[in-house]
Amino acid sequence: MNKQIKTMISTTFAAMLMLGLVGCGQTDAEVPNQSEDIGIQQEKVTDAFAPKYSSDTEYKLSVAGTYSNFESLESTIDRFYDYYPNGEIEYKYLDDYRNTISLALAGQEPPDIYVIQPWMYGDEQFSSLFDGAEVLSATELEINLYCIRPSVKWEMDDGEIRTLPVFATSYGMLVNMDIFEKEGLEVPTTFAELKAVCEQLKAAGYESPVMGANTTTTPGIGYAFSYPMFAKTVKDDRSVEADLNNLVPAAGEAMRPSLTRLKELVDNGCIDVDKCTEEIEDDYNAVILRFFEGDVPMMLCSGDVVSGTKKRESQSEAFIKKPFKYEFYIAPSGDDGGYYMDSVSILFSANKNSANMDMTNEFMRFLTSEKELGLMAAEKRLITPTKDYSLDEVYASLSDFPEERTVNFRDIEILDTAVKQYRAAAYAVINGDMTVDEAVEKYGSIPTD
Amino acid sequence: MLYLQYFRDFSCYTTLLFSFGRGCRLKKRYVIIINILIAGLILFIIVKYANDRAVESNQSSLASFEKMTTTTEQIVANYLEDEQHLCDIWANYINGSAEAGAPMTVDEAISYIRKAKISPEISGHLIFIDDDSMAGISTTARSTDSEDYSVNYSNIKIFDDLEISNVEGVVNLTRAYTNPLNGVQSIAFLNNVKVLDNETGALRSGLLIRVVPVSRLEQKLVFLKGEYENVEIALVDWDGDYMIHGKSLKNSNFFEYFKSYNPMSAQEYNQVIDTIHTDVGSMHIYNYKDEDCVIAYTPLSGLDSWFLVSYIPASELMLNRSIDWLILGVVVVGLLILLHFNLIILLNFNRKLTAAAEASNQANEAKSYFLSTMSHDIRTPMNAIIGMNEMILRDSNNEEIRMYAENIRASGKTLLGIINDILDFSKIEAGKMEIIEVDYNFASLLNDIVNMVQRKADEKNLEFNLEIDENIPRCLRGDEIRIKQVIINILSNAVKYTNEGGVVFSIKSNKCEDEPDYVNLHVSVKDTGIGIRQEDLDKLFVAFERIDEKINRNIEGTGLGMAIAQSFLSMMGSTINVESEYGKGSEFYFDLKQKVVNQEPVGEYNVAYKHFLLEKEQYKVQFVAPDAKILVVDDNEINLKVFVNLLRDTRIQIDTALSGDACIDLYKRNHYDVIFLDHMMPNKDGIDTLKDMKACADTPNQNTPIICLTANAVIGMREKYINAGFDDYLTKPIDTALLEEMLIKYLDSDLVTRAEDIEPERKQRILVVNEDIDFLRKATSTLSERYDVAVAKSMEQAISFLHKHEVDLIVMDYRIYTDLADMERSQHE
Repeated sequence: MNKQIKTMISTTFAAMLMLGLVGCGQTDAEVPNQSEDIGIQQEKVTDAFAPKYSSDTEYKLSVAGTYSNFESLESTIDRFYDYYPNGEIEYKYLDDYRNTISLALAGQEPPDIYVIQPWMYGDEQFSSLFDGAEVLSATELEINLYCIRPSVKWEMDDGEIRTLPVFATSYGMLVNMDIFEKEGLEVPTTFAELKAVCEQLKAAGYESPVMGANTTTTPGIGYAFSYPMFAKTVKDDRSVEADLNNLVPAAGEAMRPSLTRLKELVDNGCIDVDKCTEEIEDDYNAVILRFFEGDVPMMLCSGDVVSGTKKRESQSEAFIKKPFKYEFYIAPSGDDGGYYMDSVSILFSANKNSANMDMTNEFMRFLTSEKELGLMAAEKRLITPTKDYSLDEVYASLSDFPEERTVNFRDIEILDTAVKQYRAAAYAVINGDMTVDEAVEKYGSIPTD
Repeated sequence: MLYLQYFRDFSCYTTLLFSFGRGCRLKKRYVIIINILIAGLILFIIVKYANDRAVESNQSSLASFEKMTTTTEQIVANYLEDEQHLCDIWANYINGSAEAGAPMTVDEAISYIRKAKISPEISGHLIFIDDDSMAGISTTARSTDSEDYSVNYSNIKIFDDLEISNVEGVVNLTRAYTNPLNGVQSIAFLNNVKVLDNETGALRSGLLIRVVPVSRLEQKLVFLKGEYENVEIALVDWDGDYMIHGKSLKNSNFFEYFKSYNPMSAQEYNQVIDTIHTDVGSMHIYNYKDEDCVIAYTPLSGLDSWFLVSYIPASELMLNRSIDWLILGVVVVGLLILLHFNLIILLNFNRKLTAAAEASNQANEAKSYFLSTMSHDIRTPMNAIIGMNEMILRDSNNEEIRMYAENIRASGKTLLGIINDILDFSKIEAGKMEIIEVDYNFASLLNDIVNMVQRKADEKNLEFNLEIDENIPRCLRGDEIRIKQVIINILSNAVKYTNEGGVVFSIKSNKCEDEPDYVNLHVSVKDTGIGIRQEDLDKLFVAFERIDEKINRNIEGTGLGMAIAQSFLSMMGSTINVESEYGKGSEFYFDLKQKVVNQEPVGEYNVAYKHFLLEKEQYKVQFVAPDAKILVVDDNEINLKVFVNLLRDTRIQIDTALSGDACIDLYKRNHYDVIFLDHMMPNKDGIDTLKDMKACADTPNQNTPIICLTANAVIGMREKYINAGFDDYLTKPIDTALLEEMLIKYLDSDLVTRAEDIEPERKQRILVVNEDIDFLRKATSTLSERYDVAVAKSMEQAISFLHKHEVDLIVMDYRIYTDLADMERSQHE
């Protein structure tokens, strides 16, 4: 063995030894700097998960939910197994969740963690879900709720937090970034820019620069483009909220700005509604697959629709053949920019009557971090409820969205009936069934079926 | 003897060490390669063994796992059949009432089931299916309202793939679903019943559902944990949807899970699905962590479209392999340590060996120096002794003196023989000995041998008998010198070790059948000597080995003779055989194939020898060259005298010089036809002198051949001297014949007159007159060599001869002379 080889080997061994020593010297959590803000300090300390219990703790937990398939949660559970391998967390899809979750909580095999959706709050049928939920903000649980965006953090009337937002959603549009790059365009941030971009795209051969599902549902064109603007209108003047919920026709006036802007979108030729009707059969699968054809610069949709894109990439022959980069943007409906509806999609609550409360809370503590919630949202391709959008580049545009044009789910309390009136009005306007004036006038009596 | 002892020990040591050291150093890399090869072979065997064992173990584990799966399937199938059977019992009882004409109402049926079911976890639901309401009554109340027994399946989509209006005859099992009364994940066993509507009293079609929590089925599989730590059981339907599954099987559908983590073509995927649908077996798959796992699958017997899939990490089934790899790792580390240890030892050993080899080299050089010195130091005086003795033999007519000289010659030859033995052995050892074939007279060869040995035998009063085959061809071709040396060695040994009795030397010949030009000589020497022990026979041909050293200490010899003889014979394609009886005597014999030059048989040895003697002339000079002039240079004055005397009859003009410088002076001054130059001389040796001579431009001897005349006769010397610039090489003691041949070769032919061209000198004529015939014969024999002898047995004859011839001398018997005087006196008187 010549000298050089000996030197290399001994250097390698020495390097390995040094690395080993350095590795041994590290701790799981960084020690915070005393000069740092206490809040930040707590965030940092708690963001790196440190198990409370012995790694050989045995446990069996169940999570009940509405998704028939919840792979992103299962991935999170797998990471939890790295700390507690001797247990099992089972996700259970409950048939007829709306009717069975309360029964399950009262039944022989109550879930330890269960899904709550925002609309359940206030409904007597679901009161047990909230009443039976563990107070996650309890100090002793050491759950890092600081990582949650304030806009989606849900404090109950008593100031406690009983639900953990797992996924957030919003309304806006999927943007084919390759088309914009090819055409040398910037993604529009204001309505004026949108009109200009659409002109250019049309000139470039894109018949309908904006497309979407022509439905009355939330992912539909009208709702996705204009409802956030409507919500902002209500947020700015909540005095109209009660009348809207009570379907007072006069309250319909609140719809005018957003419906007018919607009509403007259509009238300016930014969107060919007939083409959308013809080419997009439903508000979910068809929207995604049509977008993946690769010739739609902007596709109006909801965050839930975006969540289906990842799986369908492999189902679209066009996308497989010619993949492209796409991102989610807030639809630029306002003169100064779009309006970000920061809505909660689903939340988790821990059953305070769980047979294994410690490990239930331990899992909730594990889950409540920017990393885990971010990874889970990224895998599901929904919007993370945390402050860090960086884990999924599709939603990167939402980072640092101006607070003044953000509407979160607690800023307004518009009942489902009122929302349905708006959706119907928007549909009627873009399809020429009603003028904006007629829609405003007929608020409260617009057919919703 | 000191010389010999020293040489013997030293030679063995240096030769062995040198060859060993050189060999070992050469083999160093081979040792490393062999080490690595052996280590590699061991590793290969271990890996192969471990692999084979692992494969066997894996196959066995896999078989056990598959067996466990089928056993589990039986347990699950039996359990499901039992549950279905219990459901059927309920239905049969209810339907039995209907068939008997007294159908139960819904309440009665539920009441019956409530009583019939034993387990509180299990409930019975009876729903109407004839109006698609899918609503009915349960045996247990809603978990949130203890008064509410109503149940509704309209939002529970579990019957889509079932013909629920006719579900008799088989196990009718739904997927896992949420019990609409308590939210518990359950499975349903179904049967059709006929019951009366409580309100209308109409006989209606109902679906009886035995609702069993999935957890109850899972509990049946807990036993598996004892056998396999991480096994997970899944029950999947035709589409892959789970009824139950373990924590590792993500997704709600097994086939989706499989597809997600095991990329393959649609065709391959469909093949896998078909295999699971139709076969019982196992396969490797990758899980969500990209880990190798094994699934075993089997259809659930008695159920349509349900399959049991057992899942286990491959590592758990292949534990043995891990253990083998551990052992392998230990062995590898061990072998590496051993290899390094060996290398360290080897390097250390090599260092020592190199030092030893260097010492050996030095010793070898010392040996060469020793040989050279010994050869030179002994040969130099030997040259004088033998040379001067030769002069005595040539010049002396005194029988007694001649006898003494003859003894000196014999002893000189013996001593020279000993030196030659050592030099020969040295040559053999160095692999530089060659067999040189020449035509030779067999009788002459025999005579030389006999002459050499006869005298020794006579000295010890031993009989020396010859048995020579008369048919041996007179002239053969072979290495006469070496053959003679071999036979003399054997004969000398026989004489040496025989104290009484005698030695029989016999040679027989047989013609080679295949090769008519060749003859096979069988040479045998049989003695009545001390014999050799059987156990000593092996030592006989080992160099420097002397058998019974203590007893035979007084017997001269190097212990090389037989070893050399054996080596020579080996080079000539033969070998010495020995038969001996200790104390009684030995027989040494060998066969030797020789080419026949003259087929004429040698005949009776004595006659042949006489014939040879007649043919052989006494020493006669081969040539004369009175005009030739040569220079001989030697620091030993006696040797110069010997040289001059040996060439006296050639009449060559010889100048002598006692040193290199004197030589150069003469070299520059006089022309010489040949120069003989000694090597080892004080101050300026022969090689340095030669260099100076070659460098000298002003000389009449530019083309004069210079021959090295040296007592240094060890191997390699000829090459050394030729390389140094000498034209030829002649060893001392000087062989006159060789010297003369060399002169003939190098002298200008004009200067040389060959013996046959010399005009014979007229011999002086002597007339011997004597009446005694024997005396006349003897006188003729004695004088005819040098004189022209005429004989007369009477005065009359003498006078008559004198009338016709002139004579230079008359040798006359005094009595005749007195008779003649008397006669003359009487005439005068």
